[in-house]
Amino acid sequence: MFKKLPTLPKLQQHLLSLLVSVSGIVCSIVLSYAYYLIDTNSVNIALIFIFFLILVSCNTVGYLYGIVCSLIAVLCFNYMFTYPFFTLNFSISGYFIGFLCMTAITVLISTLTSHLMIQSNLAAEREHQLAEAEMEKMRANLLRAISHDLRTPLTGIIGNSLTYLENQGHLTEDEKADVVRNIYEDSSWLINMVENLLTVTRIGENNLTITTSEESLEEVVGEALQKMGKRHPECVIHAKIPDEFIMLPMDAVLIEQVTINLLENALLHSGSSEPIDFIVENRPQEVAFIVRDYGHGIPKHMLNNLFSGTPSSTLEADVHKGMGIGLVICKTIIDAHCGTISGRNHEHGAEFTFTLPKKKEERLPEEGRV
Amino acid sequence: MAAKTQVLLIEDDKSIASFITTSLSGNGYRVIHALDGKEGLSLAASNCPDIILLDLGLPDIDGCEILKELRTWCSVPVIVISARTREQDKVNALDLGADDYIAKPFGTAELMARIRTSLRHSYTASPEKVYRAQGLEIHFEKRLILLNGEEIHLTQIEYQLLTLLAENSGRVLTYHYIMNAIWGPYMDSNNQILRVNMANIRRKIEVNPAQPRYVFTEVGIGYRMLENESI
Repeated sequence: MFKKLPTLPKLQQHLLSLLVSVSGIVCSIVLSYAYYLIDTNSVNIALIFIFFLILVSCNTVGYLYGIVCSLIAVLCFNYMFTYPFFTLNFSISGYFIGFLCMTAITVLISTLTSHLMIQSNLAAEREHQLAEAEMEKMRANLLRAISHDLRTPLTGIIGNSLTYLENQGHLTEDEKADVVRNIYEDSSWLINMVENLLTVTRIGENNLTITTSEESLEEVVGEALQKMGKRHPECVIHAKIPDEFIMLPMDAVLIEQVTINLLENALLHSGSSEPIDFIVENRPQEVAFIVRDYGHGIPKHMLNNLFSGTPSSTLEADVHKGMGIGLVICKTIIDAHCGTISGRNHEHGAEFTFTLPKKKEERLPEEGRV
Repeated sequence: MAAKTQVLLIEDDKSIASFITTSLSGNGYRVIHALDGKEGLSLAASNCPDIILLDLGLPDIDGCEILKELRTWCSVPVIVISARTREQDKVNALDLGADDYIAKPFGTAELMARIRTSLRHSYTASPEKVYRAQGLEIHFEKRLILLNGEEIHLTQIEYQLLTLLAENSGRVLTYHYIMNAIWGPYMDSNNQILRVNMANIRRKIEVNPAQPRYVFTEVGIGYRMLENESI
């Protein structure tokens, strides 16, 4: 209960605390009186009071309610349940110590519980801050990856077009064609990257949620492969999907993007022209998508932070142009689907696997994870 | 020589308009260019173009409004040009009567192919008798489907679905349109039944349903069948 209290507005918190205190006192008096009618053992009655005082101090804000209640309780106890009955009398020896102890116990408990409440509030806040920091980190990573990956082709476009404009007179036809082809290639690469980034805007800003609908697996895979074929006509992909008809909850455009990103990475960064394997496995709880290439594999130093978006050393950066954003985006998308994504090396190259759960999961995607 | 086919281009971006105009002229079309929706509508009325290329994001009027307006008085084929990421816009435009759409960025070859397909569908008054492409043959009158010479057996619904796509080969048909044409307007909007039937058709005519050769999916929009080669 004391976890819920702090989320209410201040005034309501205090009203609630007051209600709890009053009802606590009333309950303890009524119960004590009922007990008193059966048995006049004042020790047990004191225990009843203490029990309710603990309840009150656990469920009120601050120390004050607990302390005030404990004083009232002591007065009531003295007035009603100790000899001489229905008079206040602290002078009988032993009584005074008993009352003092009772007051001390309740004050101590009030202090403890309110301390506990503050602690749990702090913990919740820390958790929230941590989640926010994670989100912030993800954004920063994405931004860093973007600016890094976009600068290279833009430099290429500017350089090539300036070359054309400044040297138009003495470039041969072949050279002109080369320059324009370079501009074309760089800008095609750029537009793909921008499409990639645009897909991320489909994911909810704060809680990383997406709208999923039941989609036919083979259609999503089919379109992704078709787009790959259009973009890279030379690329050979061996696709193998389960025979049965499978519907999966997903955002089809996003999953298509993940598939294309992984296939494109396999094509451009494996350093091999061997056909790429694309395998879909129907597992009991999930569907796994596996992209396997037969190239030189993932460099060792990159294995640990494949999906973090941190560019590797500058020398490497140009070689692996584009891997940065692509994989960060894949991870973001798959996390939003409550799936998993991982990359590893097999004997003859690299292998990336992502999975999607079959049932729409009850749990929300873990907030803030990249 | 026959009169040149006239294309009306409604596009506000000068750079894009310039390259479309250049490539269309190079392919033997005559191009009229409108910079905004109002000009586009008046040029459409005064010039009677054979086909209209319409950009959805115009400065003055929303592309869909222009489409609605156009469809009240003429049936000239319209190809919508749109940014790639917003499927709903494309679906709306298609359901409002656009013949096809092409997503930015596109190459000239793709644009020319789309224009040819749309023009062909608007010129041929009677439907074709045979669909033929890459080993698949559909004889509409005989209700016969052959794949590499062998007969393929489809259920009633599957046959209707495949022939609907074949009659409109090369064009994208939205889920909504197909559901309406085959199951009627009172079917609920869940198109799972359509997906299941399509999956069954693919298992009968495609070698690998994940890499289809005949019926392509446009995720979130609908299906497009490979162009009929027999025309």
